[in-house]
Amino acid sequence: MMNNRYLRVFLKIFSAIISIGAFLLIWHIATNGTKLGELMPGPIELISSLIKSTYTNIGKYTIIGHILFSLSRVLIAFTVGGVIGILLGTAMGWYKTAEAIFRPFYEMIRPIPPIAWISLAILWFGLGEIMKYFVIFLAAFSIITYNAFAGAQAVDPVLIGAAKMLGAKDSRIFRSIVFPSAVPYIFAGLHTAISASWATVVAAEMVRASEGAGWLIIQGMEMNNMIQILIGIIAIGIVGLLLSIIMRGVEAKLCAWSKSGK
Amino acid sequence: MSKNENKGPKKKSKKYILISIASVFLFLFIWWLYTDVFKAVPANALPSPIKVISTFFIKFVETKPEGATMLQHIFSSLQTTLTGYAIGVAVGVPLGICMGWFDKFDMFVRPIFDLLRPIPGIAWIPVMIVFFGIGLMSKAMVIFMTALIACVVNSYSGTKQTLNVHLWVGRTFGASNLEMLFRIAIPSAMPLILTGLRVALAASWSALVAAELLASNRGLGFMIQQCRVIGRPDVIIAGMITIGGVGALLTYLLKLLEKLLLKGRKNI
Amino acid sequence: MQTNIKVEVKNLTKSFGDLLVLDDISFNVTSGEFLCIVGPTGCGKTTFLNSLTKLYSITKGSILVNNEPVNLKKHNIAYIFQENSTFPWLTVEQNVSFGLDIKKVPKDKKKENIKEVLDIVGLYAFRKYYPVQLSASMVQRVSIARAFATKPELLLMDEPYGQLDIELRYKLEDELIRLWKKTNTTVLFITHNIEEAVYLGDRILVLSNKPTKVKESIDNHIPRPRSIVSPEFVKLRNRVTELIKWW
Repeated sequence: MMNNRYLRVFLKIFSAIISIGAFLLIWHIATNGTKLGELMPGPIELISSLIKSTYTNIGKYTIIGHILFSLSRVLIAFTVGGVIGILLGTAMGWYKTAEAIFRPFYEMIRPIPPIAWISLAILWFGLGEIMKYFVIFLAAFSIITYNAFAGAQAVDPVLIGAAKMLGAKDSRIFRSIVFPSAVPYIFAGLHTAISASWATVVAAEMVRASEGAGWLIIQGMEMNNMIQILIGIIAIGIVGLLLSIIMRGVEAKLCAWSKSGK
Repeated sequence: MSKNENKGPKKKSKKYILISIASVFLFLFIWWLYTDVFKAVPANALPSPIKVISTFFIKFVETKPEGATMLQHIFSSLQTTLTGYAIGVAVGVPLGICMGWFDKFDMFVRPIFDLLRPIPGIAWIPVMIVFFGIGLMSKAMVIFMTALIACVVNSYSGTKQTLNVHLWVGRTFGASNLEMLFRIAIPSAMPLILTGLRVALAASWSALVAAELLASNRGLGFMIQQCRVIGRPDVIIAGMITIGGVGALLTYLLKLLEKLLLKGRKNI
Repeated sequence: MQTNIKVEVKNLTKSFGDLLVLDDISFNVTSGEFLCIVGPTGCGKTTFLNSLTKLYSITKGSILVNNEPVNLKKHNIAYIFQENSTFPWLTVEQNVSFGLDIKKVPKDKKKENIKEVLDIVGLYAFRKYYPVQLSASMVQRVSIARAFATKPELLLMDEPYGQLDIELRYKLEDELIRLWKKTNTTVLFITHNIEEAVYLGDRILVLSNKPTKVKESIDNHIPRPRSIVSPEFVKLRNRVTELIKWW
């Protein structure tokens, strides 16, 4: 049994190496001195440029600088969107009046992709940072509100009944029961929202920025520099993956008591 | 304060509907006051609600200012989206099912898929534009990448979540591996596959807007981008409403399909 | 003698890693027999059935059906599981038809079989319903109907009535006896409920605690229909209880 498990891990790594190796090899052959090769760099060239880009500037910053720029935009807007989304979502889930007041607007905004707000955001806030914060905020906010709302509604009525019998006040029930019960849902929302925010920052930067991961790839397109585009995409993918792993880790730690937190 | 309780639901729900209506009208009224009456906001930043509504209807016949009517834009956007989405579904769903069912296939395909998965679909826009120009093809490819990932992920986990006891029933009756796949694993993965289709469509629609903002000469994303340049927020807002409406409609259609295909599974 | 043996279990041993679950089990089942297997909870009864049907691989020993190794494609075996194993996406009728579809039974024969078993379990009126629309006992009857529809030569049942309340259990037990008599199927019925085992079985196989061995095989000749309060019934039940208590 023990051996079996090691064997399985070994097989998994082995097959991953083979398949990625085969992928790189096909890529290498397809781009080496072919017509496609004029459009696309080969894997070796790409990897060496990726390493080089961590210490030489593209535009104003190294690739790490660009990533940090994008990340700071995401974190600021995501935090604001998260706080407002959690408050509004749980309030709507628990207080019927709050739901009656805010739900219509929320339902109107929800189907509009955050990216579609970019044009209006530019008219309102100009081309600067606020425009980007606003669009990312919307991406995070709409997902988190939805999950917090669903979480607060899914609270176990038995717990509420028990609290009422013990004479707990409405606001107390909200703080001690509804809110904690919604936490697993909220974390699932935060997880989805961080990925969506990351995709949105890329889109916003592609439309208008002078630094950041999205700028990097759109600038690469304008200069017809495929290497720069692909480096940017790789960086975007790696950061997206890291954000998701971090969120999952936090979620697993904080929601260990909950079934849906796994 | 009111609670999540069903005491006298009729009377209460009527009250809340009234609150909702009042809140929407109050919002529209304030919007109207600050634009049309007080003129407190410049019209090139926020037009009045009346202007937005009239522009919305006018755009269905009028090609000005950016050169096409609303329906032409909608048609163009839908054509691009559905092309990319259809290919994404046609490739993604079978791929996800095969990865979920055939372990050996999974071992080799999964590592490559895991490399692609964290990259947002819209990040492929520059690559596709360099390869295919700014026509339908490049945008359809971006949407393909977007839809593909959602379809694979959901079909994969749906297939993986097939209950052992269901597979055992098939096995003891002497079903072959393929019979078990088609008669047990795929039907039991169906709810998640359909969820995947819905998630993929919403993501595709959003990716379409991004792609049209960046490179296009027709479509809803193009329309709002052009009207930003010439400062026509009324058209932008009308466009956003249309984008949201079409997106909601597409989701609704898929939900109908879901209900149709999954009838009997839930006690409705 | 040889021809009369349906299942021959020889030195069956199964371990998960270092954990020995089944330890050298040997016994035979005659054709048409209703064999009940009882043992303390967690003694590996389910593992035993799953090994028999090759859902788990066997560590050592062999299981022969009709004198050859188990072949699920060739031998007509049906398995009724403890948990709900109906397919939620199929109607009652389609669920019952499942085994017949796999075995490629001709259409008219299929229709006939389905009608027959659904009549016996009393679900013909519900044939267009989906499992979620039925109660737990009805769902379990769908599983039973699905198993009997294929006219299995060997039927394995793993605590099929474990989740049901007593009244329904009695009813379904009688129903099972009726089906069994009608079809001449060989039945292996696993349970931890001693009364149920004594009520149903031609023979009772008592298993020991882990690692599981066969403790004793008791013939049960009480004439049917059995009464659970008759002295001979109580006597046999007490005997089995003692066996299980003193491992």
